[in-house]
Amino acid sequence: MSELSARGTAALTTYRFDFIGRTGEYFRIWVVSLFLSVVTLGIYSAWGKVRKKRYLYSHTELDGTGFEFRATPLAILRGRVIALVLLGGFALSGHVLPIMQLVFIIILLALTPWIVVAASRFNARNSAWRNITFSFSGGFWEAARVFLGLGALAVVTLGLMYPYARMRRARFIIEHHRFGDTQIRADLMAGGFILAYLLAALMFIGIMVLFVAAMVGLVFTAGAAARHQPSGMASLAPVAVLYVAYIAVYAFLRAQIGNLTLNGVVLGPLRCRSTLRVRDLVWLYLSNIVAVLATLGLATAWVTIRMARYRARNLYLIGEATPEVFMGTATSAGSATGSEVSDLFDVDVSL
Amino acid sequence: MTAFEGVLFDGVRAAGLPVQVHAEGDEVLIASAIEEPRSVARDQIIADAPIPGVPRLLRLPGGELIQTDAHEAVASLWPPKDFISRAAFAIESRWWAALTGLVLTAGVVWLIVAFVLPFAAEPVSRRISPAVEAFMGQQTLEILDRTIFAPSTLTEEKTEELEEKYAQFVDGEDAQSYRLAFRHAGMPNALALPGGIIVVTDEMVLATENDAEFLAVVAHEIGHVRGHHAMRLVLQGSGVAVLMTALAGDAVGTTILAAALPAVLLRTRYSRQFESEADDYAFAMLKRHGQSPQAFADMMRRLRLRKDAKEEPDSLLQYLSTHPATEERIQRAEQQR
Repeated sequence: MSELSARGTAALTTYRFDFIGRTGEYFRIWVVSLFLSVVTLGIYSAWGKVRKKRYLYSHTELDGTGFEFRATPLAILRGRVIALVLLGGFALSGHVLPIMQLVFIIILLALTPWIVVAASRFNARNSAWRNITFSFSGGFWEAARVFLGLGALAVVTLGLMYPYARMRRARFIIEHHRFGDTQIRADLMAGGFILAYLLAALMFIGIMVLFVAAMVGLVFTAGAAARHQPSGMASLAPVAVLYVAYIAVYAFLRAQIGNLTLNGVVLGPLRCRSTLRVRDLVWLYLSNIVAVLATLGLATAWVTIRMARYRARNLYLIGEATPEVFMGTATSAGSATGSEVSDLFDVDVSL
Repeated sequence: MTAFEGVLFDGVRAAGLPVQVHAEGDEVLIASAIEEPRSVARDQIIADAPIPGVPRLLRLPGGELIQTDAHEAVASLWPPKDFISRAAFAIESRWWAALTGLVLTAGVVWLIVAFVLPFAAEPVSRRISPAVEAFMGQQTLEILDRTIFAPSTLTEEKTEELEEKYAQFVDGEDAQSYRLAFRHAGMPNALALPGGIIVVTDEMVLATENDAEFLAVVAHEIGHVRGHHAMRLVLQGSGVAVLMTALAGDAVGTTILAAALPAVLLRTRYSRQFESEADDYAFAMLKRHGQSPQAFADMMRRLRLRKDAKEEPDSLLQYLSTHPATEERIQRAEQQR
């Protein structure tokens, strides 16, 4: 900031992201996607995915203009077929020959860099704002180094290097993205990541110690009086307590890592600012689970909308220029296979 | 003539230019405050597929884009051509249609789970080559031997006596399909592995009071083998997994748990159905050999009274159990007497 005032143009402006989608509208799109996917044996799911994403993108606004999702259903369908063959092979192989499952996991691991790169490229090329598309230029070998090499390093150091690997992953994804002609930069330091994971680990250990102490106390006091085992639903209570604690640690990490990562995104003269809060996420996650379970999954649409709204309303672009300074360039669409494989196998390609 | 307003994005600068669009016949006129009006042929403009509540996007030949909220005008000038988008838009736009779709979805899912999957898995399980099944069973037994099983501690006499009874019992019942094996496991149990390996634990043998009870256990496991239950459970479980993945495709983050729960519930439901089927088979087989299903009921009663017997779950947790309630199984056995 001192740099800015030195140049005499201290006019920092904040541009808000917003999400203006409505639950009722999205619910109908979601239900139709579910319904037509079931009656067309899954074929419609590609169309459903595009329509849901288009709804969510177009209602996510920056400076008053929504985003655009451009992927065609056929590109997504092709990716889904390949992903399904992989998933089917994986599921069946485990039953016939357990060793096959290992082979599959190794193949999948080897494919990870390709999945990450292909999915990022596909999603970037199909995302646009004001008719200017994103693009992704990360290469296979660099992805292999970052995801597999540093991943292996994290494993052999028993997780000590994981925060660093996580930061490098985020940096790889961010700094290979472009918005139009503007190369996006990543301003990330390992320190924040290390601190976040350290605190999460301490929280986890603290919770486990408290939990074990409470259980031991319970067994001693109750066990002496009546020698009967906790039966039925009562035996589920400790599981529920552990689950809530797990969600709390998870929310802590999501908020911390999400903020650290997004705050490190620099687009030319503008910089991202993310204000996710742990307590908000704990509440959102817990109420989401209760709502989805209580409605047999029907609340999924509502959950999607409220999460999108929360995320968008905690994201800003700050800088001394307007977003109108960005310039566009022509790009073509990538293959959808990487994106779909990562969807089905839940490979983490998020920031 | 149709006229509407929109914002033009040229794809070069990230800035919008308000435009007026006039359509007359096959010609579309685009005018703005700063540019000369220009004319574009209507069929050169591509409109996106309509989605309720989403602004329409019109793509011009040079890569420019016009965004507009004039849904009706765009729909009449560029009616969606492909059937899928038209059908989806029509249902999405109406609450009653969407909710009807929801009810139909629930019905179809129930049909698939209750009838289609079990119906389809049965013939498939019978067509799987015996070699594959035998191989799977052998693999499973090896894993169990390494983990929870120890060699049987029964005396050779006892083993031989039981094997003789078993041989008599399965004689003429396609005996070559099954193989009896004894193992030490620390608790009374019996299981049927793919390929017809029937494992009875030492503790189970000791828990039986007479030959009829031992044969009741064997008959139940033969029921599992005859019905290819292990294979069918694998197939039906995979089917449910695929279905749940498809249905919960966009469950976000932590709510994915909600998709895992029904999958578990359905698996245990299939398992309970197979247990009842195996019970029925056992009752019939016992009767064929002049034994009474009462032996089965007696043994279940005794097992239930053992110290290491698991407590019967209360009503709600029943759905998480892989076996039907013991009381129910005893009653069914006694009805068959």
